[in-house]
Amino acid sequence: MKRLALLVALCTATTAQAAQDTAGLVRYVACPVYRDTDAGRKSGCWLADDRETGKRWDVTESPYKPDWNFAVLVEGRPSANTAQPCGAPALDPVRTSRLDIPCTRHMIPAEGFPGRRYTLPRRNIAPLSVARPVPPGPYAERVFPVYFEFDKDFLVYQYDDWLIDNAVTWIRAAKPKKLVVTGFAATVPEKVSGLELAERPEAAQERAETIAETMRRLVPGLKIETKWEVAAKPTDEPDADGLPWQSQRRAEMRAVF
Amino acid sequence: MVRRAHMACDCALKSAIEPMRKGKRLMHLLPQKSFALPLAALVLALSVGARGGDVPDRWWAPGEGRVLPAVLDYDNANGTLRMLAVGGPLKTAGHPFFEPLGKDGRACVTCHQPSDAMSLSVDSVRRQWDRTNGKDPLFAAYDGSNCPTLPQDKRESHSLLLDRGLIRIERPWPAKSFNGNPVKPDFTIEVVRDPNGCNSGPTYGPEAGKISVYRRPRPVANMKYLLAVGFPFDPKQGYALPLDPEDGKPQSGNLMADNRAGSLRIQMEDAATTHLQMLKALSPAERKQLQDFELRVYTAMQVSKTGGAVDSGGAVAGPARLRDSEPGALGSIGEPVWSEFKGWEKIPADEAAKLTPEQLAMRQSIARGARVFREKMFLITDSAGINSRVGFGNPVRNSCVFCHNMSQMGNDVAPGQVDLGTTTLPFADPWDDLPLFRVTCTGRPHPHYGKVIYTYDPGFALTSGKCADVGKITLQSLRGLSARAPYFSNGLAKDLRGVVDYYERRYSIGYTEQEKQDLINLMGVL
Ligand code: HEC
Ligand code: HEC
Repeated sequence: MKRLALLVALCTATTAQAAQDTAGLVRYVACPVYRDTDAGRKSGCWLADDRETGKRWDVTESPYKPDWNFAVLVEGRPSANTAQPCGAPALDPVRTSRLDIPCTRHMIPAEGFPGRRYTLPRRNIAPLSVARPVPPGPYAERVFPVYFEFDKDFLVYQYDDWLIDNAVTWIRAAKPKKLVVTGFAATVPEKVSGLELAERPEAAQERAETIAETMRRLVPGLKIETKWEVAAKPTDEPDADGLPWQSQRRAEMRAVF
Repeated sequence: MVRRAHMACDCALKSAIEPMRKGKRLMHLLPQKSFALPLAALVLALSVGARGGDVPDRWWAPGEGRVLPAVLDYDNANGTLRMLAVGGPLKTAGHPFFEPLGKDGRACVTCHQPSDAMSLSVDSVRRQWDRTNGKDPLFAAYDGSNCPTLPQDKRESHSLLLDRGLIRIERPWPAKSFNGNPVKPDFTIEVVRDPNGCNSGPTYGPEAGKISVYRRPRPVANMKYLLAVGFPFDPKQGYALPLDPEDGKPQSGNLMADNRAGSLRIQMEDAATTHLQMLKALSPAERKQLQDFELRVYTAMQVSKTGGAVDSGGAVAGPARLRDSEPGALGSIGEPVWSEFKGWEKIPADEAAKLTPEQLAMRQSIARGARVFREKMFLITDSAGINSRVGFGNPVRNSCVFCHNMSQMGNDVAPGQVDLGTTTLPFADPWDDLPLFRVTCTGRPHPHYGKVIYTYDPGFALTSGKCADVGKITLQSLRGLSARAPYFSNGLAKDLRGVVDYYERRYSIGYTEQEKQDLINLMGVL
């Protein structure tokens, strides 16, 4: 346990360089394999093979999980935890974006692997009936990022909702004059597993508008401006979990006083 | 007041009113005989009933002026359903839920009957057809027939209502706005097959700006649960919940199969102009009375025919608890769904000794059914709203309670638009009497069906205008099921076994016969 805490601390320390440092990270496109483990609800395993290195990774911990009919863009860091409950070394943090490339559905049996018993992710929001503690002032200009799946503007469950819930709690207390929502898209093509991957430029605007609409509903009356930028650069914000590509696919809410 | 409630009560009244009543159980002897009566005699019989001299019928006809008692019981095949009216007996004379407001002589109660858990069972429909020779306002041409263009005196022109309990629902096409925002549908729709004539010709069908689909009435009861908001987001749509234009509060998104109404007000206005064919708008006073009434009604099974009262021997189910509990809790973090029956899991020997073997076996089966509902896992596949776009993955291992997750109700805490496949091929059953539409996605293909989709009812997509929402139907509550067969929005399952069989076909669950029976017994007493 203590060792784990230390590792987490180390990871956080290194995220500062994450923007530049992709050493040790993996990024590839693969058809996902579903391993039918059964340790209760949501306990199935997702595996994905990197064709170039010939390595199979356990990508189950992604906040947006694969669809067995479509290829995924895998991005992650080999986990410090060496346990292999799904029968392969795990990436964690990890992201699996669904691409519009059809795959042959493939399910394999548990083969004795236990899978992971479901635990509530760290980023989960309390029901509305639970009062949020008021964040202490003083309040000054502040930026709140939210992150997306590749080329999508969909608000990620137990990730973005948590980020937004925290932002809203702060905004309600701080009462900024307005919110400037900027959507970003990673439009510069990069070669991954032999494919040229780039986000559509429209994704930047879609992200800005999706978040703006959500914020209008959560903080009625708040003045909101939208902007968008393509060719997004990575950031080292901690909630992108040290994954530079995830940090590019974002929207930022800037509270202005 | 109390005396009137007593007189007008058509039920085996218990608790509140029982002490005042010296007579015997009345309701269950109802007019098997009257089936044969001609209409005039029937009307007379009903009006006698309404004056309190006789026992009123199970069927609540519009404008009868009965008093709705505070506690009202009706028997069905699985036991006794109980309806509670919070705030005591209600005079229905002059009440907009019970008075015929439009030209067809219908009232809201026509399709939302107390004996049917405030929905409408196909048994009641057939009975009403037989009793009135098809003249009951329920069978009005507008939506109580397969299509108004058909000869209305023929039984087959009303076959969807008589065989499956379906009401015609006419939706505008293309959808223009949703939650106050403009919508431009990202799909086109063509009619493959129009067996009833209501999706083609000069006045009907997408070319004429409308689409007819056929749906079951949804129960108008236990509404505080359907309106409860658990979390600020709709994880299935990827937005914060929409706000009610009237009070600025977030909407639960749990009304109507296609979620076209976000609030009771919008719903009742829709109902008044369509089902009731009202020419003028509901007045503010009528709207207030309707809303007030809808929020007062609770209904659930009170007695299992074989197992006994559902709030006895350690079980804590039934409508009173429903009335008294806080709505909107997620079963996975609070009170587990159907744990009301936990007390029947391990019945102590001294308690068991007081029960008949059948009673004991039934209680144990119901308690096991609750566990099967929560704990028997299977792979949920290709069901938009669950397997896409929320990040759960496709497939995801879970149980019935994944979707039916609200404590005590079994609807979805989050807005419950999910594509179970009940209305869409290849998962829907083959039916030649429903219209079939071909949907073509013009933008991104549907995440599971691809570019072209064949469906009897596009469901939520008719409201949102999104191809990704084709086939999504809002989860209902699971209360009062025994009183309101058939099930699913298009009546696909004729009984509770039909429900379990559908899930078994859909997800290859692998239930044992015992598990199926336990689930059926559980659902029979909710
Ligand atoms: C002709 C039958 C009929 C009549 C009359 C009728 N309804 Fe309904 N009601 C339905 C049907 C069918 C649905 C489901 C529609 C759908 O899902 O698209 C429904 C749904 C509802 C719902 C939504 C419940 C839920 O859980 O989603 C409410 C509330 C309701 N009706 C209230 C009323 C009121 C109030 C009136 C009178 C003004 C009324 N109804 C008259 C057939 C009827
Ligand atoms: C993937 C989500 C999901 C799962 C899992 C699920 N349901 Fe449902 N359920 C739905 C949806 C959506 C509807 C509404 C469909 C319709 O009306 O066509 C529904 C409707 C029902 C109804 C009909 C209610 C009515 O008023 O007609 C019953 C009964 C039911 N479910 C029982 C179950 C049981 C038993 C299980 C486990 C075997 C289960 N459900 C698992 C989504 C789900």
